[in-house]
Amino acid sequence: MIKEIIKNLAAKKPAVPFPQGFSVKPEEAVKIVDFQKKIDTIFGRSLRIRQIDAGSCNACEWECTALTNPVYDIQRFGIDFVASPRHADVLLVTGPVARQMEFALGRTYLATPEPRLVVACGDCAKDGGIYRGSYAVTNGVANVIPVDGYIAGCPPSPAAIVLGLAQLIEKLTK
Amino acid sequence: MDSVMKKAVKTDVRLNETYFEVKADDFRDVCRHLFEDLHAVLRVMFASDERERDGCFRIYTVFTVPGTDRFSIIVLSLTPDEPGFPSITSVVPAAHWYEREIMDMFGLVPRGHPDRRRLVFHEAFPAGSHPLRKDWSMVESDMRAWGEGKTINVPHPFMEVEGEGIVEIPVGPVHAGIIEPGHFRFSAVGETIFFLEPRLFYTHKGTEKHFETLGFTEGVKLAERVSGTSSFAHGAAYCMAIERMMGIEITEKAAAVRTLVLELERLYNHIGDIGNMCAGTALALGYMKGAVIKERLMQLNERLTGSRYLRGLNVIGGVTRDVFTHTDDILKTVDHATQGYKELMTLLLGAVSHIERLQHTGRLSKDIARKLGVTGVAARASGLTDDIRKSHPHLLYDRLIFEAHTYEQGDVLSRMMVRAEEIECSISMIQALFESSYQGGLTVPERTIPAYSAALGYTETPRGSVFYWAMADKAGKPLRVKLRSPSFCNWPAVPFAVHGNIVPDFPLCNKSFNLSYSGTDM
Repeated sequence: MIKEIIKNLAAKKPAVPFPQGFSVKPEEAVKIVDFQKKIDTIFGRSLRIRQIDAGSCNACEWECTALTNPVYDIQRFGIDFVASPRHADVLLVTGPVARQMEFALGRTYLATPEPRLVVACGDCAKDGGIYRGSYAVTNGVANVIPVDGYIAGCPPSPAAIVLGLAQLIEKLTK
Repeated sequence: MDSVMKKAVKTDVRLNETYFEVKADDFRDVCRHLFEDLHAVLRVMFASDERERDGCFRIYTVFTVPGTDRFSIIVLSLTPDEPGFPSITSVVPAAHWYEREIMDMFGLVPRGHPDRRRLVFHEAFPAGSHPLRKDWSMVESDMRAWGEGKTINVPHPFMEVEGEGIVEIPVGPVHAGIIEPGHFRFSAVGETIFFLEPRLFYTHKGTEKHFETLGFTEGVKLAERVSGTSSFAHGAAYCMAIERMMGIEITEKAAAVRTLVLELERLYNHIGDIGNMCAGTALALGYMKGAVIKERLMQLNERLTGSRYLRGLNVIGGVTRDVFTHTDDILKTVDHATQGYKELMTLLLGAVSHIERLQHTGRLSKDIARKLGVTGVAARASGLTDDIRKSHPHLLYDRLIFEAHTYEQGDVLSRMMVRAEEIECSISMIQALFESSYQGGLTVPERTIPAYSAALGYTETPRGSVFYWAMADKAGKPLRVKLRSPSFCNWPAVPFAVHGNIVPDFPLCNKSFNLSYSGTDM
């Protein structure tokens, strides 16, 4: 096995051929490969995400969890979900922001060191989604904290979440 | 028996729902009789503001007596000048949270309730404000102050445990991990949990009120977004309630599709849950194996319905797609999942370190489970045969052969084993469903909803029974939609299950219940 690893290293062959697992179009796969290069250069090979549920139905969370399963395995790109906002580069917020989560979301935002990116993930996080207009929600993350990017979908698929992050980084580095 | 039930006047019988009107003085007695003498299960309890109809608030208490497919609904009418009702919590402990919820949402006070703190709303929500009252409104400044969460309008003191060596550990609402928000207050002696008080409802989204503004047809989408992993079951129960109000019966084909997809939903959830429990015991291989099988099943969901969470399939009157056209795909994927699942179970049952952690951990006694009205996997793991597919056959469940498997120990291992047995049942039900052909189209036309009609809708989600109760107003628009997710019944049982366990076992206990915060908080 060690021989195999040395051989691969010498040939500069990636350990896992990409985009295995993701069912995305070829042009989208290219974007993800670009994205990985940017993670390598800008974020020192490590992009850390803190996911916060601000009143989601839990579908978006399960899609984030799915990203860490062996099928998608996003850790291979250097992306991982972290336990503390203090370790995070990106806050990935889901849900229409329930009023009773507003305070906690604001505190988590303040606990994240700058520079920080905020991504509103899912239709609810964008503008309240189906919950728009209910008395107990704030109709989107942007009404509570500044947002840098949005990912659409109810819920966005694991591939859509990665692509959304890729596009955000692309936009910011242009 | 009859002397007590004589106090309740039978007012209406619709399908398998029997409505009884009682006087306030007899309310507690009738409920006590049903719960204690007839061993009835409290399915759901809620209030409704029907002042536009006849000037009354009403409290509905839905019981079922084991062995019958009949809902006994005890109705208590309250005039607005009498804003309270006798609490039944002392005789029916399962009513504990329901009554506090009614107090928050309607301002109807349960007289004699042992815990009169708020349930749904936190400190910053204005006092005397009750959103489900029809004449409720809230000024913008109050709304903002509620969100900011800095003012304390109604204090919420946590239960305090006093004594030498007691340490309080506050956790949440934002947890370390990709999970939903909730606050837990542990009182521990060393590592042992002496008392746990959960503080939930952080994700309260005003769902029930929102149903009233959306209308019945749009409501399907909302029902599908109450609890992510039970999307289809919620949608099916909601549609069933509306269809019963309209007096329509879905076709055999639509019923078969719903039954099949309900079982597919159960399958991916249960396998995922068994895998997730491994995360609680640091058995990474089991966790990953479970995650892979779950992912394959969710990809099947997407191919069948266009949604990994099976959304968009249910409509009032039937379903939008005929998933039976994907016979080969479904059977092949399920076969594949079955093999993977068998390997996973061989691994788990052979891993002593895993099983030892599960055994005798997080025990919930049968007595407490019954008193608190626990439902679903948690109930069956504690020896209660509560399966609404068996007790109230709906869709095609009366034609399928399956068992409501129960275990007696009530520990984490039992909850895993109940899931394992149900996975096998689901697989055989899915296969059996493909053995016959079904008549009829996908949908039947909607009908107008009669004024002030009401009906129950229910089904068994992977977590337990879900209930919807809807009532129309004069124009056939929603007057009240009550939803009761299984997690609402099971959360109060978690503190009893973790008592005496060590703090590091709490995540494991929690995962074995796998409760939805969003479904509870609504």
